[in-house]
Amino acid sequence: MPQTPREPRRRFLASAGALALGGLAPALVRAQGEALQLGVLTPLTGAGGFDGPRMAKAMQAVIDEVNGNGGLLGRKIVLVVEDGQTNPEAAVRAARKLIDVTKVPAIMGTWASAVTSAVAPLCWESKTFLTTVSGADSITKLPHQGYLIRTQPNNHLQAGKHAEFIASMGVKRCFMMSIQAPFAQPTQSRATEVLKEKGSQMVGTLIYDKDKTTYRSEVDQALRANPDLIYLNGYAPDVTILLRDLYRAGYGGKRFAQSYAVTTKVLDSLPHEVTEGVITVQPSADVTSPAYELAKKRLGVAEPDSYETQATDWASLVSLAIAKAKTPTGTGIRDSVRSICQGSGQKVYSAVEGLKLLAQGKDINYEGASGPCDFTEIGDITDCKFRYNKVENGKFVLLKVA
Amino acid sequence: MENYLIAMCVSAGIYALMALGVNVVWGFAGMVNLGLVGFFAVGAYASALLTIKAHWAIAGGMAAATIVAALVGAVVALITVRLRGDYLAIVTLGFAETIRIVASNAIWLTNGTDGLSGIPGPGRGTLSPEMFNLVYLAIVGVIVAIAYVMNERLRASPFGRVLRAIRDDEQVAAVAGKHVTLFKVKAFAISSAALGLAGALYAHYTSYIAPDIFVPLLTLYIKLALLAGGLGNDRGAIVGAFAVVFLLESTRFVIPYVPGITPVQGAAIREFLIAAFLLVMLRYKPTGLVPEQPTRLPVPPAPRYQPTA
Repeated sequence: MPQTPREPRRRFLASAGALALGGLAPALVRAQGEALQLGVLTPLTGAGGFDGPRMAKAMQAVIDEVNGNGGLLGRKIVLVVEDGQTNPEAAVRAARKLIDVTKVPAIMGTWASAVTSAVAPLCWESKTFLTTVSGADSITKLPHQGYLIRTQPNNHLQAGKHAEFIASMGVKRCFMMSIQAPFAQPTQSRATEVLKEKGSQMVGTLIYDKDKTTYRSEVDQALRANPDLIYLNGYAPDVTILLRDLYRAGYGGKRFAQSYAVTTKVLDSLPHEVTEGVITVQPSADVTSPAYELAKKRLGVAEPDSYETQATDWASLVSLAIAKAKTPTGTGIRDSVRSICQGSGQKVYSAVEGLKLLAQGKDINYEGASGPCDFTEIGDITDCKFRYNKVENGKFVLLKVA
Repeated sequence: MENYLIAMCVSAGIYALMALGVNVVWGFAGMVNLGLVGFFAVGAYASALLTIKAHWAIAGGMAAATIVAALVGAVVALITVRLRGDYLAIVTLGFAETIRIVASNAIWLTNGTDGLSGIPGPGRGTLSPEMFNLVYLAIVGVIVAIAYVMNERLRASPFGRVLRAIRDDEQVAAVAGKHVTLFKVKAFAISSAALGLAGALYAHYTSYIAPDIFVPLLTLYIKLALLAGGLGNDRGAIVGAFAVVFLLESTRFVIPYVPGITPVQGAAIREFLIAAFLLVMLRYKPTGLVPEQPTRLPVPPAPRYQPTA
């Protein structure tokens, strides 16, 4: 009797194996079919597993809309989605498959900076266009020959915008405490520069180590400079401790931090009097743009976030650039992308709208859901909106989007 | 398609070199090294830094990476000399994490979490991407072949015999007059050298390294390769490495044909399949695809007892 269960199990394994091998063959044949295939390489597992799937969904929604309106160059678009696993080594293998087997002209969606830096060389060597949300300044400085754009503001742009906002609040003496990270030094020097331009002043900066249980000595050092605003440029665990230590030290001035450092979880873990009045900032979708309204409807989401709107814009930009170039190649996209998203053409807010005008031979200027989508020569965006929140009674209250 | 297959063979070749290296300490000497990705990282950073910052030739960088990794391996072996089994596994796991954290924070040297990009490769830029891949495959192939022959010779040599004796019973080996510590340190150094060279090969192939690459996941892939191929067996190590890359990559082509699943579910199924493969292997074929053959030494016939007159 104990022998009987073995037989069906073996048969199952055999049939599963046959199915797997059988599946392989048509995949290779269909890769050369009629549809126009575009690559998506978002993290579906790992640290980026929260943002990646939503980004893929947002791209699919745009592509469905384009397909519903006659497709691109008379062909249907198919998104081929691979998992970047938030891991550079795995992402490189996935990118190789997209480039060499599926032969996509564009890969959209790398999230972590290390993944983007690892995948980018494959892309420019094989003349494949890459769009990304990674923020590290070093990425657009790679020798990518124009085969890369990013819709995420880099540190330089962010630091400048933050400093402008701080100066606009009437702050005269700003102090900055940064965690030891690649962005620490560049953010401090850029903020110092812009504060000075705007008639304010950086009275001091320091860089602290992560994973400490107290930051009393750092807080004392900051308070000696007598600032009326302290910019806490760290992550949630250390900023939680800094807020507590600042409160204990009796600091009554303003505090400013990135939204990922002061999350709702941080607010829940600290008493309300400790967090009262903290101002947070994050890159924001352009909530006033008609493109944002369209994205809301398309996705059926009340407030699409920065990542979803950026993904919306990639799918639109790549489709429009292919239509403009009249050929689905990476080089075509590279050469024509700036002619459909900036300049004096007619403003359009969706891919479908733009495709219609392009078909009529008109010039267009795509304005995205994440922002105006104007790019510098090295592929950085020139402008972006930021969302400023203030903590009141343990809750976030919107100050403004600007 | 061809280019993709070649690229995957290069990946598999680098995995195979790592598996061969790990086989020396794990397969022959029975020491569990869960920090192999740390030695891989040491080799990758050593060669990348020497070629970028000191403008060494690529071959020089690779040779230096091999030596540096071997020295680091010897030091780790000396530190952990009194540890065995699970304890050794934990300490080596910690070593790999230490290397990753140092690489993240020693920004002046390693450029921190931004990583090092623009690592030169043989003929990169002048050759077409397809030719570059082919040339690289040839280089990796030759190195794996040499490593295989050296490992086989090592296994058959008296040195290999002592390692297996240590694996089976350390005390017996010591009682037989073998300097167990010295053998362990040597084995660790040899193993780390192969891992370091694999790291250098990886760095010059992809042109970019960052701390995020050197995560325990890669260690597990190599362990999986050895278990699948057959522990303690060099042919098995190579077969296993190719099997792992085949498993990782073939699921990519199958999943889109499973009806009614989203890409996220597909990604989860892929990870599940890999785990399931390991479990099935361990349950039904614990000796691997190519089991280790017990070495049989010719036993000389016992001299016949001759009574003295």
